[in-house]
Amino acid sequence: MKKPLLEINNLCVDYVSPNGVARAVNNVSLSIAPGETLGIAGESGCGKSTLAFAITRLHKAPALISEGEIIYNGRDILKMTNKELREFRWNDVSIVFQSAMNSLNPVITIGEQLTDVIVAHKRISVKQASIKAKELLTVVGIHGDRLSSFPHQLSGGMRQRVVIAIALALEPKLIIMDEPTTALDVVVEREILNELYDLKEKFGFSILFISHDLSLMGEIADRIGIMYAGNLIEIGDAKTVFNNPSHPYTKGLLASFPTIHGPKERLYGIPGDPVNLLNLPTGCNFQKRCNDCMDICKKDDPILAELNVDYKVACHKF
Amino acid sequence: MSFLLRRLSFYFTAFLIAISFNFLLPRMMPGNPIDALFAAAQGKMDPAQMDAIKEMYGFMDGSFFEQYIAYIQSVFTLDLGPSVLMFPIDVTTVVGMSLPWTMFLALGSLIVALIIGVSIGTYSAYRRDGFFGQFVPPFLAFLSNFPYIVTALLLFYFFGLELELLPLAYTYDPSLAPGFSLEFIGSVAKHAILPMGSMILVGIATWVFNMRNAMINVLGEDYVTMAEAKGLSSYRVMYRYAGRNAILPVATAIAMAIGFSFAGSIMTEVVFNYQGLGNILLKGIMARDYPLIQAILLILVTAVLVANFIADLLYVWLDPRISK
Repeated sequence: MKKPLLEINNLCVDYVSPNGVARAVNNVSLSIAPGETLGIAGESGCGKSTLAFAITRLHKAPALISEGEIIYNGRDILKMTNKELREFRWNDVSIVFQSAMNSLNPVITIGEQLTDVIVAHKRISVKQASIKAKELLTVVGIHGDRLSSFPHQLSGGMRQRVVIAIALALEPKLIIMDEPTTALDVVVEREILNELYDLKEKFGFSILFISHDLSLMGEIADRIGIMYAGNLIEIGDAKTVFNNPSHPYTKGLLASFPTIHGPKERLYGIPGDPVNLLNLPTGCNFQKRCNDCMDICKKDDPILAELNVDYKVACHKF
Repeated sequence: MSFLLRRLSFYFTAFLIAISFNFLLPRMMPGNPIDALFAAAQGKMDPAQMDAIKEMYGFMDGSFFEQYIAYIQSVFTLDLGPSVLMFPIDVTTVVGMSLPWTMFLALGSLIVALIIGVSIGTYSAYRRDGFFGQFVPPFLAFLSNFPYIVTALLLFYFFGLELELLPLAYTYDPSLAPGFSLEFIGSVAKHAILPMGSMILVGIATWVFNMRNAMINVLGEDYVTMAEAKGLSSYRVMYRYAGRNAILPVATAIAMAIGFSFAGSIMTEVVFNYQGLGNILLKGIMARDYPLIQAILLILVTAVLVANFIADLLYVWLDPRISK
């Protein structure tokens, strides 16, 4: 395997509340290679967005990164000073946020929101930066004249493109996409994803793609990781995870999607509810909802273990 | 443009209603200036003299409705007649002399309180877990809960009477000739410190809390997180991305605050014997000087409406989502 661009080792993120400490990300380790797309999937509240926030240290109290390290190009992000962190942000890792609709400031022109990040990181004048900004808009398929528009003057799809243009502004090595297309309809989603992959070819960045849409993920990701209750429970190449998953939870997730082709089948959901992070059971977090629950599952935590080369599962069955 | 036109027509209607009340209020008070004069003369005045005085002051008999029409006319021609209190000076002249001082006091203290309050509010929201955010806003809330009059009297007592640091009365040293000399401006500033200071002290907390609350809401927005993720300086994130949005509800509150500021100015002027409209208004009321009272109320109403309109313009300028 190539030298990873980003390596997360034993990362734990806690939310401290008066009722106790909720561990939203528990002991997660993963890596992203240059140019790779890693998908992270899981249901709401499984910690996938928390993981994304941790990568650029965006957490504020009461969230707390309590353990682990995040190594980017040999540097531990968690040990950076504020100044180093500010320089690192966006230059190396940019983020397309969940509901990109709300990630543009409504009272600032998109031109300013594009140029300020360029001016903040590069030693160029505002004028040069706005030439660059115009190019970026053209790259994502928006006319350069739109620089002076305010977000409310653009459609949802256009705003999403603007957000992607901002994410590309400094040509980062890694773009984190936190459910970037959830707010869009499928046609626009498809268009934007196609363009995104053209851009990926051109610029060669890696993508950490966070979504609950497994079928979308199966299509675009090189590798997929599945999270449940803060744990990474299965990670491996996209084809295997999508077509032949090992963990009972992943199987359940996939069974709950309808297929377009083939005979009509009854859909299966996963029984029960997600666990309460403040009150975790002993043993496997998934035991109550699992059809294959064994005695050992109620006693010991399963560890993420290598099943095949580059394929890991956290389940006592294997 | 339609937004501003709509606002303008609203203010014009408000103005008409306000001047009608302005006409009614003094006439609902017991007594009138001529009766007061007559009483003061203790019966030594004959009816012919009374009529002569009425004519001199420009009072007319006529029906209620005729008086109203004449009043409306005088408002729009700015011919408000002579003052009873300072006869034969025109009411317009009297008001013209004192209006600038009240504007200076009311708007000046409002603007200073606004700037200080908004800055503190922004900062205390951004650092709301720190010492500053925990301690300063409650302290200011404590200060603002004194009525204007109490704060003014306390300042008056300590800085004016006890320490004798600052002047106790007038808008400037009466021995100086008004003009653009350094000495005169210095004197005006020195005389304004106490009245303005008391209004600012009372006013700040409103803005701190308005801004702080708005700011805390905005800080949770995705665009603020994104601005931070972009690696912008925390100053820029705080003021340009979060503050810029949080100021919108504050701008709405400005319109309401203008009225309160003028009201506060009237009381403060009386305490510090500041030669503004409030002071004159009090004297006018004592002397039952109808033309003067009406003129001052008219001016105050107009000033508040104009200031509100400016606040509307400000809002349009601040929020591009409102159509021009």
